[in-house]
Amino acid sequence: MKAITDQWVRGYRLGAIPLLLFFSACSQWTASFIDVRSNAETMVMGAYSATPELNQRAVQDPSQKICSLMPDESLTQDQMTFVTDAAKHSVSYPNSGHLTGDWKKGAELVADGTGQRIVNGQIEKLARNGALCNNCHQIDPKEVNAGNLGPSLVGYAKLRGRSETVIRYTYEKIYNAWAFLPCSNMPRLGANHFLTPEQIADVVAYLTDPQSPVNAP
Amino acid sequence: MLISLFFRCRLLNKQKQAGFLAMVLMLFLSLASGLAQSLETPQDGLAIGRQLLAEDNPGDLWTERGKRLFHSNRGPKNKSLETCDLGLGPGITKGAFAQLPRYFNDTKSVQDLESRLLTCMVEIQGFARAELISRRFGTLDQDSDIEALVAFIGSDSNNLPMNIGLSHPLERVMYETGKILFYRRSGPLDFACMTCHGETGKRVRLQDLPNMTKKEEIQQAVTTGWPAYRGTHSTVRTMQHRLSDCNWQMRLPDLNYASDLSVAITTFLNYSANGGLIKLPGVRR
Repeated sequence: MKAITDQWVRGYRLGAIPLLLFFSACSQWTASFIDVRSNAETMVMGAYSATPELNQRAVQDPSQKICSLMPDESLTQDQMTFVTDAAKHSVSYPNSGHLTGDWKKGAELVADGTGQRIVNGQIEKLARNGALCNNCHQIDPKEVNAGNLGPSLVGYAKLRGRSETVIRYTYEKIYNAWAFLPCSNMPRLGANHFLTPEQIADVVAYLTDPQSPVNAP
Repeated sequence: MLISLFFRCRLLNKQKQAGFLAMVLMLFLSLASGLAQSLETPQDGLAIGRQLLAEDNPGDLWTERGKRLFHSNRGPKNKSLETCDLGLGPGITKGAFAQLPRYFNDTKSVQDLESRLLTCMVEIQGFARAELISRRFGTLDQDSDIEALVAFIGSDSNNLPMNIGLSHPLERVMYETGKILFYRRSGPLDFACMTCHGETGKRVRLQDLPNMTKKEEIQQAVTTGWPAYRGTHSTVRTMQHRLSDCNWQMRLPDLNYASDLSVAITTFLNYSANGGLIKLPGVRR
Protein backbone atom coordinates (compact mmCIF):
# COMPACT_ATOMS: atom_id res chain seq x y z
CA MET A 1 0.00 0.00 0.00
CA LYS A 2 2.75 2.36 1.01
CA ALA A 3 4.68 1.55 -2.17
CA ILE A 4 1.66 2.42 -4.27
CA THR A 5 1.23 5.71 -2.47
CA ASP A 6 4.89 6.54 -2.91
CA GLN A 7 4.67 5.71 -6.59
CA TRP A 8 1.62 7.85 -6.98
CA VAL A 9 3.26 10.74 -5.15
CA ARG A 10 6.38 10.43 -7.27
CA GLY A 11 4.29 10.31 -10.44
CA TYR A 12 2.31 13.30 -9.31
CA ARG A 13 5.48 15.21 -8.54
CA LEU A 14 7.02 14.39 -11.91
CA GLY A 15 3.84 15.55 -13.59
CA ALA A 16 3.91 18.71 -11.54
CA ILE A 17 7.37 19.75 -12.69
CA PRO A 18 6.44 21.04 -16.17
CA LEU A 19 3.41 22.72 -14.60
CA LEU A 20 5.58 24.44 -11.99
CA LEU A 21 8.05 25.53 -14.63
CA PHE A 22 5.18 26.94 -16.65
CA PHE A 23 3.81 28.89 -13.70
CA SER A 24 7.17 30.17 -12.57
CA ALA A 25 7.89 31.28 -16.12
CA CYS A 26 4.51 32.99 -16.13
CA SER A 27 5.07 34.89 -12.90
CA GLN A 28 8.62 35.70 -13.97
CA TRP A 29 7.20 37.20 -17.11
CA THR A 30 4.48 39.07 -15.19
CA ALA A 31 6.96 40.35 -12.59
CA SER A 32 9.14 42.00 -15.20
CA PHE A 33 6.19 44.17 -16.23
CA ILE A 34 5.16 45.28 -12.75
CA ASP A 35 5.73 48.98 -12.08
CA VAL A 36 6.60 48.94 -8.38
CA ARG A 37 5.37 52.49 -7.79
CA SER A 38 1.85 51.81 -9.06
CA ASN A 39 2.06 48.43 -7.33
CA ALA A 40 2.62 50.29 -4.05
CA GLU A 41 -0.51 52.40 -4.65
CA THR A 42 -2.55 49.26 -5.42
CA MET A 43 -1.37 47.76 -2.13
CA VAL A 44 -2.35 50.89 -0.19
CA MET A 45 -5.84 50.68 -1.70
CA GLY A 46 -6.12 47.06 -0.58
CA ALA A 47 -4.72 47.60 2.89
CA TYR A 48 -7.70 49.33 4.50
CA SER A 49 -11.39 48.44 4.88
CA ALA A 50 -12.76 51.51 6.67
CA THR A 51 -15.30 53.98 5.25
CA PRO A 52 -14.30 55.80 2.02
CA GLU A 53 -13.87 58.97 4.08
CA LEU A 54 -11.36 57.35 6.45
CA ASN A 55 -9.62 55.38 3.69
CA GLN A 56 -9.02 58.74 1.99
CA ARG A 57 -6.42 59.46 4.69
CA ALA A 58 -4.06 56.99 3.01
CA VAL A 59 -4.32 58.81 -0.33
CA GLN A 60 -1.45 61.25 -0.87
CA ASP A 61 -1.89 64.92 -1.69
CA PRO A 62 0.57 66.37 -4.27
CA SER A 63 2.96 67.67 -1.58
CA GLN A 64 3.04 64.33 0.28
CA LYS A 65 3.84 62.65 -3.03
CA ILE A 66 6.80 64.98 -3.60
CA CYS A 67 7.95 64.61 0.00
CA SER A 68 8.13 60.80 -0.16
CA LEU A 69 11.78 60.92 -1.18
CA MET A 70 13.72 57.69 -1.61
CA PRO A 71 17.27 57.58 -0.15
CA ASP A 72 18.91 58.30 -3.52
CA GLU A 73 16.60 61.23 -4.32
CA SER A 74 16.64 64.91 -3.40
CA LEU A 75 14.15 67.72 -4.01
CA THR A 76 14.45 69.61 -7.30
CA GLN A 77 14.16 73.40 -7.25
CA ASP A 78 10.68 73.16 -8.85
CA GLN A 79 9.48 70.67 -6.26
CA MET A 80 10.80 72.83 -3.44
CA THR A 81 8.96 75.84 -4.86
CA PHE A 82 5.74 73.84 -5.33
CA VAL A 83 5.69 72.48 -1.77
CA THR A 84 6.65 75.82 -0.18
CA ASP A 85 4.08 77.80 -2.19
CA ALA A 86 1.28 75.31 -1.49
CA ALA A 87 2.15 75.49 2.21
CA LYS A 88 2.22 79.32 2.30
CA HIS A 89 -1.18 79.47 0.57
CA SER A 90 -2.69 76.99 3.02
CA VAL A 91 -2.28 79.19 6.11
CA SER A 92 -5.39 80.77 7.62
CA TYR A 93 -5.62 82.81 10.80
CA PRO A 94 -7.97 83.07 13.82
CA ASN A 95 -11.07 85.22 13.23
CA SER A 96 -9.99 87.41 16.14
CA GLY A 97 -6.81 88.31 14.27
CA HIS A 98 -4.74 87.49 17.38
CA LEU A 99 -1.93 85.01 16.73
CA THR A 100 -1.33 84.41 20.43
CA GLY A 101 -3.99 82.96 22.73
CA ASP A 102 -4.05 81.47 26.22
CA TRP A 103 -0.70 79.92 27.19
CA LYS A 104 -2.30 77.73 29.87
CA LYS A 105 -4.59 76.14 27.31
CA GLY A 106 -1.52 75.83 25.11
CA ALA A 107 0.30 73.93 27.89
CA GLU A 108 -2.43 71.30 27.95
CA LEU A 109 -2.41 70.94 24.18
CA VAL A 110 1.39 70.61 23.99
CA ALA A 111 1.47 67.69 26.45
CA ASP A 112 -1.48 65.89 24.83
CA GLY A 113 -0.53 63.19 22.30
CA THR A 114 -4.03 61.97 21.43
CA GLY A 115 -6.56 62.67 18.70
CA GLN A 116 -7.86 61.28 15.40
CA ARG A 117 -6.68 57.69 15.96
CA ILE A 118 -8.86 54.97 14.44
CA VAL A 119 -9.84 51.71 16.15
CA ASN A 120 -12.21 49.25 14.47
CA GLY A 121 -13.17 51.85 11.90
CA GLN A 122 -14.10 54.48 14.51
CA ILE A 123 -12.24 57.71 15.27
CA GLU A 124 -11.50 58.04 18.99
CA LYS A 125 -14.08 60.25 20.68
CA LEU A 126 -12.43 63.26 22.30
CA ALA A 127 -13.47 66.84 23.02
CA ARG A 128 -10.48 67.99 20.95
CA ASN A 129 -7.21 66.77 19.47
CA GLY A 130 -3.95 67.17 21.37
CA ALA A 131 -1.20 69.18 19.66
CA LEU A 132 1.25 66.23 19.96
CA CYS A 133 4.25 68.57 20.52
CA ASN A 134 5.86 66.58 23.37
CA ASN A 135 5.86 63.42 21.27
CA CYS A 136 8.86 64.92 19.44
CA HIS A 137 10.00 68.10 21.25
CA GLN A 138 11.36 68.97 24.67
CA ILE A 139 9.57 72.26 25.46
CA ASP A 140 9.02 72.64 29.21
CA PRO A 141 12.49 72.00 30.70
CA LYS A 142 10.81 70.05 33.54
CA GLU A 143 8.80 67.72 31.26
CA VAL A 144 10.27 64.21 31.50
CA ASN A 145 8.02 62.50 28.96
CA ALA A 146 9.26 64.29 25.82
CA GLY A 147 10.68 62.88 22.60
CA ASN A 148 13.65 64.05 20.57
CA LEU A 149 12.61 63.61 16.92
CA GLY A 150 12.40 67.40 16.69
CA PRO A 151 14.74 70.00 18.20
CA SER A 152 14.44 71.19 21.81
CA LEU A 153 12.29 74.32 22.15
CA VAL A 154 13.29 75.09 25.75
CA GLY A 155 13.64 78.84 26.24
CA TYR A 156 11.90 79.47 22.91
CA ALA A 157 11.22 83.21 23.33
CA LYS A 158 14.25 83.84 25.52
CA LEU A 159 16.35 82.97 22.46
CA ARG A 160 14.17 84.54 19.77
CA GLY A 161 12.32 87.35 21.51
CA ARG A 162 8.60 87.82 20.96
CA SER A 163 8.44 90.41 18.19
CA GLU A 164 5.52 90.37 15.74
CA THR A 165 7.80 88.66 13.20
CA VAL A 166 8.66 85.85 15.64
CA ILE A 167 4.99 85.41 16.61
CA ARG A 168 3.87 85.27 12.97
CA TYR A 169 6.67 82.86 12.04
CA THR A 170 5.81 80.59 14.99
CA TYR A 171 2.11 80.56 14.11
CA GLU A 172 2.73 79.81 10.44
CA LYS A 173 5.40 77.20 11.23
CA ILE A 174 2.92 75.23 13.36
CA TYR A 175 0.11 75.76 10.85
CA ASN A 176 2.22 74.44 8.00
CA ALA A 177 5.85 73.54 8.71
CA TRP A 178 6.52 72.97 5.01
CA ALA A 179 6.15 76.72 4.30
CA PHE A 180 9.62 77.20 5.77
CA LEU A 181 11.29 73.82 5.38
CA PRO A 182 9.68 71.84 2.54
CA CYS A 183 9.13 68.14 3.41
CA SER A 184 10.38 68.49 7.00
CA ASN A 185 9.36 65.67 9.35
CA MET A 186 6.93 67.94 11.19
CA PRO A 187 3.22 67.39 10.41
CA ARG A 188 1.28 70.26 8.79
CA LEU A 189 -0.96 70.52 11.85
CA GLY A 190 -3.14 73.43 10.75
CA ALA A 191 -3.29 72.70 7.03
CA ASN A 192 -4.30 69.08 7.74
CA HIS A 193 -7.09 70.34 10.06
CA PHE A 194 -5.56 68.54 13.03
CA LEU A 195 -5.57 71.79 15.04
CA THR A 196 -7.82 74.85 14.72
CA PRO A 197 -6.29 78.34 14.24
CA GLU A 198 -7.35 79.19 17.82
CA GLN A 199 -5.57 76.12 19.23
CA ILE A 200 -2.42 77.02 17.31
CA ALA A 201 -2.60 80.54 18.79
CA ASP A 202 -2.75 78.95 22.27
CA VAL A 203 0.39 76.91 21.50
CA VAL A 204 2.11 80.06 20.19
CA ALA A 205 1.29 81.76 23.50
CA TYR A 206 2.74 78.82 25.42
CA LEU A 207 5.98 79.07 23.44
CA THR A 208 6.33 82.84 23.66
CA ASP A 209 4.66 84.08 26.87
CA PRO A 210 7.17 85.26 29.51
CA GLN A 211 4.97 83.58 32.19
CA SER A 212 5.14 80.18 30.45
CA PRO A 213 7.49 77.56 31.99
CA VAL A 214 9.13 77.32 28.54
CA ASN A 215 10.72 80.75 29.15
CA ALA A 216 11.38 80.35 32.87
CA PRO A 217 14.55 82.17 33.89
CA MET B 1 -7.51 14.99 32.22
CA LEU B 2 -6.84 16.00 35.82
CA ILE B 3 -3.14 16.06 35.13
CA SER B 4 -3.54 18.34 32.15
CA LEU B 5 -5.80 20.64 34.18
CA PHE B 6 -3.21 20.71 36.94
CA PHE B 7 -0.51 21.49 34.41
CA ARG B 8 -2.64 24.24 32.88
CA CYS B 9 -3.17 25.86 36.31
CA ARG B 10 0.52 25.70 37.06
CA LEU B 11 1.23 27.22 33.69
CA LEU B 12 -1.19 30.05 34.32
CA ASN B 13 0.41 30.77 37.68
CA LYS B 14 3.82 30.68 36.11
CA GLN B 15 2.55 32.99 33.42
CA LYS B 16 1.33 35.49 36.02
CA GLN B 17 4.54 35.29 37.98
CA ALA B 18 6.54 35.79 34.87
CA GLY B 19 4.32 38.71 33.90
CA PHE B 20 4.92 40.36 37.25
CA LEU B 21 8.64 39.78 37.03
CA ALA B 22 8.60 41.23 33.54
CA MET B 23 6.79 44.33 34.80
CA VAL B 24 9.38 44.91 37.50
CA LEU B 25 12.13 44.50 34.96
CA MET B 26 10.34 46.81 32.51
CA LEU B 27 10.31 49.47 35.18
CA PHE B 28 13.99 48.93 35.73
CA LEU B 29 14.55 49.04 31.98
CA SER B 30 12.72 52.31 31.53
CA LEU B 31 14.61 53.89 34.42
CA ALA B 32 17.87 52.64 33.03
CA SER B 33 17.15 53.73 29.48
CA GLY B 34 17.86 57.39 30.21
CA LEU B 35 21.30 56.47 31.47
CA ALA B 36 21.85 54.10 28.57
CA GLN B 37 21.44 56.91 26.05
CA SER B 38 24.93 58.14 26.62
CA LEU B 39 26.51 54.73 27.16
CA GLU B 40 27.09 52.15 24.49
CA THR B 41 29.19 49.70 26.50
CA PRO B 42 27.86 46.19 27.31
CA GLN B 43 27.82 47.23 30.97
CA ASP B 44 25.14 49.88 30.48
CA GLY B 45 21.81 49.62 32.30
CA LEU B 46 19.73 48.81 29.25
CA ALA B 47 21.98 45.89 28.30
CA ILE B 48 21.82 44.53 31.86
CA GLY B 49 18.03 44.87 31.84
CA ARG B 50 17.79 43.11 28.48
CA GLN B 51 20.03 40.32 29.70
CA LEU B 52 17.92 39.80 32.82
CA LEU B 53 14.77 39.66 30.72
CA ALA B 54 16.31 37.30 28.19
CA GLU B 55 17.18 34.90 31.00
CA ASP B 56 13.55 34.64 32.12
CA ASN B 57 11.50 35.63 29.10
CA PRO B 58 7.75 35.16 29.66
CA GLY B 59 7.49 34.69 25.88
CA ASP B 60 8.91 31.18 26.32
CA LEU B 61 5.50 30.12 27.66
CA TRP B 62 3.92 31.19 24.36
CA THR B 63 6.63 29.28 22.50
CA GLU B 64 5.73 26.09 24.38
CA ARG B 65 2.03 26.57 23.80
CA GLY B 66 2.70 27.25 20.12
CA LYS B 67 4.67 24.03 19.82
CA ARG B 68 1.77 22.07 21.32
CA LEU B 69 -0.71 23.77 19.01
CA PHE B 70 1.46 23.09 15.95
CA HIS B 71 1.64 19.35 16.60
CA SER B 72 -1.92 18.73 17.89
CA ASN B 73 -4.87 17.72 15.74
CA ARG B 74 -7.17 20.73 15.70
CA GLY B 75 -9.88 22.50 13.74
CA PRO B 76 -12.93 21.11 11.88
CA LYS B 77 -10.65 18.72 9.94
CA ASN B 78 -8.89 17.58 13.13
CA LYS B 79 -5.42 17.86 11.58
CA SER B 80 -2.09 19.09 12.94
CA LEU B 81 0.08 21.59 11.09
CA GLU B 82 2.69 18.90 10.41
CA THR B 83 1.89 19.08 6.70
CA CYS B 84 2.07 22.89 6.65
CA ASP B 85 4.83 24.03 4.27
CA LEU B 86 6.47 27.20 5.60
CA GLY B 87 8.92 27.22 2.71
CA LEU B 88 11.30 24.41 3.63
CA GLY B 89 8.94 21.46 3.20
CA PRO B 90 5.88 20.05 5.05
CA GLY B 91 6.08 20.51 8.81
CA ILE B 92 9.62 21.92 8.83
CA THR B 93 9.74 24.76 11.33
CA LYS B 94 13.50 24.86 11.96
CA GLY B 95 14.88 27.76 9.93
CA ALA B 96 11.44 28.67 8.51
CA PHE B 97 11.35 32.15 10.06
CA ALA B 98 14.81 32.99 8.68
CA GLN B 99 13.63 32.76 5.06
CA LEU B 100 10.25 34.49 5.34
CA PRO B 101 8.56 36.25 3.62
CA ARG B 102 8.94 34.13 0.47
CA TYR B 103 7.03 33.07 -2.64
CA PHE B 104 4.72 30.03 -2.37
CA ASN B 105 3.70 28.10 -5.43
CA ASP B 106 0.32 26.93 -4.12
CA THR B 107 -0.96 30.43 -3.37
CA LYS B 108 1.04 32.08 -6.17
CA SER B 109 1.99 34.86 -3.80
CA VAL B 110 4.67 36.12 -1.45
CA GLN B 111 3.62 35.42 2.15
CA ASP B 112 4.97 36.34 5.55
CA LEU B 113 4.78 33.92 8.49
CA GLU B 114 1.33 35.06 9.55
CA SER B 115 -0.33 35.05 6.13
CA ARG B 116 1.22 31.60 5.54
CA LEU B 117 -0.16 30.33 8.87
CA LEU B 118 -3.61 31.59 7.84
CA THR B 119 -3.35 29.59 4.60
CA CYS B 120 -2.33 26.41 6.48
CA MET B 121 -4.93 26.75 9.22
CA VAL B 122 -7.68 27.29 6.64
CA GLU B 123 -6.58 24.71 4.03
CA ILE B 124 -5.26 21.96 6.33
CA GLN B 125 -7.25 22.37 9.54
CA GLY B 126 -10.45 23.81 8.08
CA PHE B 127 -10.64 26.90 10.29
CA ALA B 128 -12.69 29.83 8.94
CA ARG B 129 -10.40 32.63 7.81
CA ALA B 130 -12.61 35.39 9.24
CA GLU B 131 -12.73 33.63 12.61
CA LEU B 132 -8.92 33.32 12.73
CA ILE B 133 -8.55 36.99 11.82
CA SER B 134 -11.01 38.10 14.49
CA ARG B 135 -8.82 36.31 17.08
CA ARG B 136 -5.46 37.34 15.60
CA PHE B 137 -4.43 39.53 18.55
CA GLY B 138 -4.84 38.06 22.02
CA THR B 139 -6.66 39.91 24.80
CA LEU B 140 -6.72 39.22 28.53
CA ASP B 141 -10.01 37.38 27.93
CA GLN B 142 -8.91 35.32 24.96
CA ASP B 143 -5.50 33.96 23.94
CA SER B 144 -4.47 34.11 20.30
CA ASP B 145 -3.36 30.81 18.76
CA ILE B 146 -1.52 32.71 16.03
CA GLU B 147 0.59 34.65 18.56
CA ALA B 148 1.65 31.35 20.18
CA LEU B 149 2.37 29.66 16.83
CA VAL B 150 4.44 32.64 15.67
CA ALA B 151 6.43 32.58 18.94
CA PHE B 152 7.16 28.86 18.43
CA ILE B 153 8.07 29.10 14.75
CA GLY B 154 10.14 32.24 15.28
CA SER B 155 12.12 30.66 18.11
CA ASP B 156 12.78 27.57 16.00
CA SER B 157 15.15 29.71 13.89
CA ASN B 158 17.18 30.82 16.92
CA ASN B 159 20.92 31.24 16.32
CA LEU B 160 20.39 31.06 12.54
CA PRO B 161 21.05 34.13 10.38
CA MET B 162 18.21 35.95 8.60
CA ASN B 163 18.47 34.75 5.04
CA ILE B 164 15.82 36.16 2.69
CA GLY B 165 16.69 35.00 -0.81
CA LEU B 166 14.64 37.24 -3.12
CA SER B 167 15.31 34.54 -5.70
CA HIS B 168 11.79 34.62 -7.11
CA PRO B 169 10.97 37.70 -9.19
CA LEU B 170 7.78 38.35 -7.21
CA GLU B 171 9.86 38.40 -4.01
CA ARG B 172 12.02 41.08 -5.63
CA VAL B 173 8.87 43.02 -6.55
CA MET B 174 7.62 42.71 -2.95
CA TYR B 175 10.96 44.04 -1.64
CA GLU B 176 11.05 46.99 -4.06
CA THR B 177 7.40 47.84 -3.31
CA GLY B 178 8.00 47.57 0.43
CA LYS B 179 10.89 49.98 0.12
CA ILE B 180 8.68 52.54 -1.64
CA LEU B 181 5.99 52.10 1.02
CA PHE B 182 8.58 52.64 3.78
CA TYR B 183 9.25 56.14 2.42
CA ARG B 184 5.63 56.91 1.43
CA ARG B 185 4.13 59.80 3.42
CA SER B 186 0.37 60.06 3.94
CA GLY B 187 -2.36 60.69 6.50
CA PRO B 188 -3.27 63.69 8.67
CA LEU B 189 0.22 63.66 10.22
CA ASP B 190 2.19 63.35 6.95
CA PHE B 191 4.10 60.35 8.33
CA ALA B 192 6.01 57.59 6.58
CA CYS B 193 7.78 54.73 8.40
CA MET B 194 10.89 56.72 7.59
CA THR B 195 9.71 59.72 9.66
CA CYS B 196 10.38 57.85 12.92
CA HIS B 197 12.79 55.14 11.76
CA GLY B 198 15.30 57.02 9.62
CA GLU B 199 17.76 58.40 12.18
CA THR B 200 19.80 56.93 15.00
CA GLY B 201 19.21 57.87 18.65
CA LYS B 202 15.65 59.15 18.21
CA ARG B 203 12.71 58.72 20.56
CA VAL B 204 9.00 59.39 20.40
CA ARG B 205 8.30 60.38 24.02
CA LEU B 206 10.58 57.93 25.90
CA GLN B 207 10.34 55.12 23.37
CA ASP B 208 13.59 54.38 21.51
CA LEU B 209 13.13 54.06 17.76
CA PRO B 210 15.40 51.75 15.74
CA ASN B 211 16.94 53.31 12.63
CA MET B 212 15.83 50.95 9.88
CA THR B 213 18.25 52.46 7.38
CA LYS B 214 21.28 51.31 9.39
CA LYS B 215 22.32 47.67 8.99
CA GLU B 216 23.20 46.85 12.64
CA GLU B 217 20.07 48.52 13.98
CA ILE B 218 17.66 46.83 11.58
CA GLN B 219 19.33 43.48 12.22
CA GLN B 220 18.87 43.99 15.97
CA ALA B 221 15.23 45.07 15.48
CA VAL B 222 14.23 42.18 13.18
CA THR B 223 16.11 39.36 14.90
CA THR B 224 14.92 40.14 18.45
CA GLY B 225 11.29 40.78 17.63
CA TRP B 226 8.68 40.48 16.39
CA PRO B 227 7.48 38.01 17.80
CA ALA B 228 8.27 39.54 21.18
CA TYR B 229 6.73 39.44 24.64
CA ARG B 230 5.24 42.89 25.17
CA GLY B 231 5.18 43.82 28.86
CA THR B 232 2.49 46.48 28.61
CA HIS B 233 0.22 44.03 26.75
CA SER B 234 1.07 40.93 28.86
CA THR B 235 1.27 38.82 25.70
CA VAL B 236 3.48 37.97 22.74
CA ARG B 237 2.86 40.32 19.84
CA THR B 238 3.70 39.67 16.19
CA MET B 239 5.06 41.74 13.29
CA GLN B 240 1.54 42.16 11.93
CA HIS B 241 0.57 43.64 15.29
CA ARG B 242 3.57 46.00 15.26
CA LEU B 243 2.68 47.29 11.80
CA SER B 244 -0.94 47.64 12.84
CA ASP B 245 0.10 49.66 15.90
CA CYS B 246 2.36 51.95 13.85
CA ASN B 247 -0.53 52.51 11.44
CA TRP B 248 -2.79 53.47 14.33
CA GLN B 249 -0.25 55.99 15.62
CA MET B 250 0.06 57.39 12.08
CA ARG B 251 -3.73 58.01 12.23
CA LEU B 252 -4.36 55.68 9.27
CA PRO B 253 -7.37 53.31 9.25
CA ASP B 254 -7.06 49.79 10.74
CA LEU B 255 -4.51 47.89 8.67
CA ASN B 256 -6.01 44.72 7.15
CA TYR B 257 -4.41 41.61 8.66
CA ALA B 258 -1.93 39.92 6.31
CA SER B 259 -2.48 42.62 3.66
CA ASP B 260 -0.04 42.77 0.74
CA LEU B 261 1.17 46.14 2.08
CA SER B 262 2.16 44.54 5.40
CA VAL B 263 3.93 41.66 3.64
CA ALA B 264 5.77 44.09 1.33
CA ILE B 265 7.09 46.20 4.23
CA THR B 266 8.09 43.04 6.14
CA THR B 267 9.91 41.73 3.05
CA PHE B 268 11.84 45.00 2.79
CA LEU B 269 12.76 45.02 6.50
CA ASN B 270 13.60 41.31 6.83
CA TYR B 271 15.77 41.30 3.71
CA SER B 272 17.60 44.37 5.03
CA ALA B 273 18.32 42.40 8.22
CA ASN B 274 19.95 39.48 6.37
CA GLY B 275 22.91 38.04 8.26
CA GLY B 276 21.63 39.01 11.72
CA LEU B 277 21.38 36.09 14.19
CA ILE B 278 17.81 35.33 15.25
CA LYS B 279 16.94 35.41 18.96
CA LEU B 280 13.17 35.03 19.41
CA PRO B 281 10.81 35.73 20.99
CA GLY B 282 12.16 39.13 22.03
CA VAL B 283 11.05 41.27 24.97
CA ARG B 284 9.66 44.78 24.52
CA ARG B 285 8.05 47.47 26.60
